[in-house]
Amino acid sequence: MHNRALPYLLTLPSLALAAIVIFWPVWDLIQISLHDVNRFGQLRELNDFANFKALAADPDFTAALLRTALWTVLVVGGALLVSIPVAMILNSDFYGRSVARVIIMLPWAVSLTMTAIVWRWALNGESGMLNSALRNLGIIDQNIQWLASAATAFPMQVLIGILVTVPFTTTIFLGGLSSIPDDLYEASALEGATAVQQFRHITFPLLKPFVNIAIVLNTIYVFNSFPIIWVMTQGGPANSTDILVTHLYKLAFRIGKLGEASAVSLVMFAILLLFTMIYVRLAMRESRA
Amino acid sequence: MKPSFWKSALLGGLSVLALAAQAEAGTVRVTVAEYSSKTGPYFEEAKKEFEAKNPGIEIQFEIVPWDVLLQKLTTDIAAGTNADLSIIGTRWLIDFVQQGVAEPLDQYITPEFKDRFIETFLSPSIMEGKTYGLPIAASARAMYYNKDILSKAGVSEPPKTWDELKADAQKIKDAGGDVFGYGLQGKEIETDVYFYYAMWSYGTEILNKDGTSGLGTPGALEAAKMYKSLIDEGLTEPGVTSLNREDVQNLFKQGKVGMMITAPFLSNQIKEEAPKLNYGVAAIPAGPTGARGTYGVTDSIIMFQNSKNKDEAWKFLDFLFTTEQRAKFTQGEGFLPVNKEEAKMPYYTDNADLKAFTALLPDARFAPVIPGWEEIAQITSDAVQKIYLGKPDEIEGTLKEAADKANAILKKN
Repeated sequence: MHNRALPYLLTLPSLALAAIVIFWPVWDLIQISLHDVNRFGQLRELNDFANFKALAADPDFTAALLRTALWTVLVVGGALLVSIPVAMILNSDFYGRSVARVIIMLPWAVSLTMTAIVWRWALNGESGMLNSALRNLGIIDQNIQWLASAATAFPMQVLIGILVTVPFTTTIFLGGLSSIPDDLYEASALEGATAVQQFRHITFPLLKPFVNIAIVLNTIYVFNSFPIIWVMTQGGPANSTDILVTHLYKLAFRIGKLGEASAVSLVMFAILLLFTMIYVRLAMRESRA
Repeated sequence: MKPSFWKSALLGGLSVLALAAQAEAGTVRVTVAEYSSKTGPYFEEAKKEFEAKNPGIEIQFEIVPWDVLLQKLTTDIAAGTNADLSIIGTRWLIDFVQQGVAEPLDQYITPEFKDRFIETFLSPSIMEGKTYGLPIAASARAMYYNKDILSKAGVSEPPKTWDELKADAQKIKDAGGDVFGYGLQGKEIETDVYFYYAMWSYGTEILNKDGTSGLGTPGALEAAKMYKSLIDEGLTEPGVTSLNREDVQNLFKQGKVGMMITAPFLSNQIKEEAPKLNYGVAAIPAGPTGARGTYGVTDSIIMFQNSKNKDEAWKFLDFLFTTEQRAKFTQGEGFLPVNKEEAKMPYYTDNADLKAFTALLPDARFAPVIPGWEEIAQITSDAVQKIYLGKPDEIEGTLKEAADKANAILKKN
């Protein structure tokens, strides 16, 4: 009936582009990670997976791996929890809604690095805005040294991570909410459904595909997110706020271990690939059932 | 005479060729670290002046923030797109030399050229008898103190030893007010160095005589305990691990810190940003035996081995290291003079701040020239941060662990 090769032919250009942009660097990374490399990226002999073995033996890597998991779960989870109600409020009709929408979206327009720098100033122990605000409100009477230890620095970084993830997530949910027909709510209201019941049986189920998209995209994005942690603490003090990307950056460009850094990079790639595949599988099966 | 006619014709032809070659002579690309907002304008001006004197040579700059310089060089070299000349931290030079990236400059250096330099600053760039770099920037560290804070606390002279420093910091604390005795840096670049100041005073070097790490010695332990006691007794600013060098310098400029150790460029910053600050510069405090050390740093400008315009690049280097050019650059950035003639200028000899720095030069230690130094510095910074945050009885274990890690790297060399 029709040419079976045609679909492949039509996807060929974009496939070729993807190959150049994605597969080539990954191939390069694999090469570097398997070889003994000098600090300028020049390859020497194959070294029998020594780079990967070095990672497995490095407690800083394991710690960064676990912290990355925590970081991703907290930021993605937190952003979801905040974004659903925010999107629902912004979806309802009220005076000044467009202004409110702009305000929610604004953090998105500021580059991540700038946001992080501003927060670094705000969290400064002696002259930071947050401390002086808390002092003026009478909540604290001694300055808190926010970035001096991981116990306060990491939670703040997670909060800022959530703050900058909310706009994008809210946008996805707003799109989702506007696709839910109003008559469903009208009909259920006639049957006497409460707002909570409406949310549980109409809003949330219909929003689910959008939640899935938000989870996948945000996970990929947050997992790889570098500026917030780098600008505020550079993964310190003593590597106690390192996630995999900041660990990788230090390995590669501070210490010059490009082989091990490439290995970290491949591990991150594998984790994300695996996560996305499993998650998409699960989500698809659910939606088919 | 026929032969001489041919000879002159040949010479004439050659000189035409040479002229043509000069006209074709290429562009010299230079990677420059941005030390301050004055770096870019200085090099633009130098370019104009040099190009006017040397028609046919074009200079192109890539001005890169210091923080990303090593990253840029790494990727450029890996891709083979590096410039002809670059500023690098001299402590990185060993890697560049061992990988055959840097070109030895000895074939260009005349005795007159070599004689321009102050020996202390040129020697870190000499490896295995060859000169691989020229010191474009040099710096040392000394102690800044706030005269008003000290006199308010009843201290008439800056402390000469760490014991005196501690006692003075206590007096500053007792005198009250929103000021801190000793500004202690605990984050980012040179966190390890801030610890070495104390360590050197207790007689420990970065590397022991047998080539192992000094972190495991009693001197390092004494120094760490002393710093830790300053933190625990509230004699430093709070939250030391959240302050990098600039943060502590800012506290000093705001008149909130009694004493701190840093580089000569703080004087320039104070002149511009806090001209009313009543401060002085003194030697780094000594330890119980009178030992003391300051950190000497040079940045080198190197020529790349794969450069295609080495002769032109050298001409530019020769120009940059004339007394006049050196003075412009050094005074703008607030570094120390590397050029003998330059050091005799009244700008340097009449400057009390700079005198304190140059007086410390005999005690200057440079970062050891060993492969893997950056990693050892990172390990030291991490250990130091752990100590600042941890409990006093954990100090010995933390230092021991860091020494073991450093020794494992040193053994590989």
